[in-house]
Amino acid sequence: MKSYLLSIFLFIFLAGGPVYGSDSIAAPANTKASQAVAVADEVNEPAAETADTTADPFEEEYQNGEYADAITKEEKVEIADPLELFNRAMFQFNDKLYFWMLKPVAQGYKEVVPEPARISVKNFFTNLGFPIRFLSCLLQADFSGAATEAGRFGVNTIWGIGGLMDPASSKELDLKMQDTDLGLTLASYGVGHGFYLVWPVFGPSSPRDTIDLAGKYFLNPLSYITPWYYPTGTKVVEVVNRTSLSIGDYESLKEAAIDPYVAMRDAYIQYRKKQIKRKNNKAGAAGVQLEQNLTKSGAN
Amino acid sequence: MLTLLLIFAGSGAASASGPFGPPQTISREAGGLNTAIGYSYQEDKFEDNAQYVFRQNQVYSQVSYGGQNRWEIYGRIGVSDLTISDAFASNNSSTIISSDRDFTEHWKFFGTLGAKGFLPVNKIFGVGAFLQGSYYFEHFKCEVAGTDAGAPFTADLKVRDLWDVNFGIGFQVTAPYDIKLYAGPYIYYSEAKANLSADIAGLKFGTQKISLENKAIAGGFAGVDVPLAKGFHLNIEGRYSERFSCGAAIGYRY
Repeated sequence: MKSYLLSIFLFIFLAGGPVYGSDSIAAPANTKASQAVAVADEVNEPAAETADTTADPFEEEYQNGEYADAITKEEKVEIADPLELFNRAMFQFNDKLYFWMLKPVAQGYKEVVPEPARISVKNFFTNLGFPIRFLSCLLQADFSGAATEAGRFGVNTIWGIGGLMDPASSKELDLKMQDTDLGLTLASYGVGHGFYLVWPVFGPSSPRDTIDLAGKYFLNPLSYITPWYYPTGTKVVEVVNRTSLSIGDYESLKEAAIDPYVAMRDAYIQYRKKQIKRKNNKAGAAGVQLEQNLTKSGAN
Repeated sequence: MLTLLLIFAGSGAASASGPFGPPQTISREAGGLNTAIGYSYQEDKFEDNAQYVFRQNQVYSQVSYGGQNRWEIYGRIGVSDLTISDAFASNNSSTIISSDRDFTEHWKFFGTLGAKGFLPVNKIFGVGAFLQGSYYFEHFKCEVAGTDAGAPFTADLKVRDLWDVNFGIGFQVTAPYDIKLYAGPYIYYSEAKANLSADIAGLKFGTQKISLENKAIAGGFAGVDVPLAKGFHLNIEGRYSERFSCGAAIGYRY
């Protein structure tokens, strides 16, 4: 069993490669599948690059005025997509599943359940996701994040009526939910994204994030309720409830895209990349803080 | 307030499903929720032809909505155990009980609904009233075993449909740091049905369902509500008559 798990992990690691190189992974053989994406990183271009001499007054206003600050640097985000045929088929399947089944059900649900109740249901399921966030924080040695998560879970379960309400996020308590999972934990260990993968029902993923999908199943307390149709039923309720709160988001992305599959892939990769970046920044800030504290205590 | 408490001290056993809380709501003046988790230990005397002492440990979660510093409605859901002292005491020398003489049963669900109103007399003093009722959704069951005239027996005693309703008046003083001290009298009624699965000579219960009612109808209560940091409140309350009951709750104001 151990060797089986080890070989799976090795496969994920080898398929993923190093995380810091994931942005520049070249698509194997299929260059079409490797999509360059502009990412707004809020970095101003040097004046030499932007001050292109022109007589156009609008162009001058753009360069010299307030818009000059908004000029962004382009960063290429790429991911290998060797299973594009399979992925596109799964994307179509998920697309139909959404439009033919999930959306109509979610719209009906939205009609009969008022928004505050749906937000409460969302809070309840988010609260149940505590084990995976807590474990991920611990595995990333983010003990402050783990403590925040434990505090959130305690407060929301006890005073939030089993998690239906979210008093932990109030201004007074300010215990923010840790945006982390096992995929990000693997990323912090240096495991790269790997190739793009679309799972039926579960949607966009990668070998690395598939570990997260499995972790979410095993660390969800609802998965251990018997008989099997209870956890399945609660999962359906969770998905329908979540969808009812975001009807229109997917449609907007699809409408705006020339190729919805590529748009979804890029959105997913950018989203994950930003999460990793945020996590790294937080870890860096914590390291600086720790260093400062150590220096202070050394000076004393 | 202690005088008020002592006036009611000799009037019988106290019972209620959890503390009554301060007469004035802790919700925001504009209106809002507050939630709490609480623990209560209580004793009460029930009687039919004989008297029985009921002891309960209760843990509950409460959600309340109140406003204008004057009114509040609340609901609780909780679990409670039940011990009835000497429920299986034999009054016949030929009936020998080999099991525990006390009726004991573990956690069963109960629910409570209540409402309270408060009238401030001035910035410090105020008076309020409340109405609170509880019902136990599940029955309590315990087995008794022994011999009756040499023949072994086992039987189950079921206590079902336990409920109570309480009405009280509370006098409140607001001390510095918004600490609320309160006390007052209350009246109540409790009832439960009980029956044994077999008729055993020498036991007080039989197969016929009997109704147990609270022996006393009034009691007194006193408590304190202390604001803690970050919207939390601590409420400690005692109720006293023949026996002492007490409870504590930590609330959070949204």
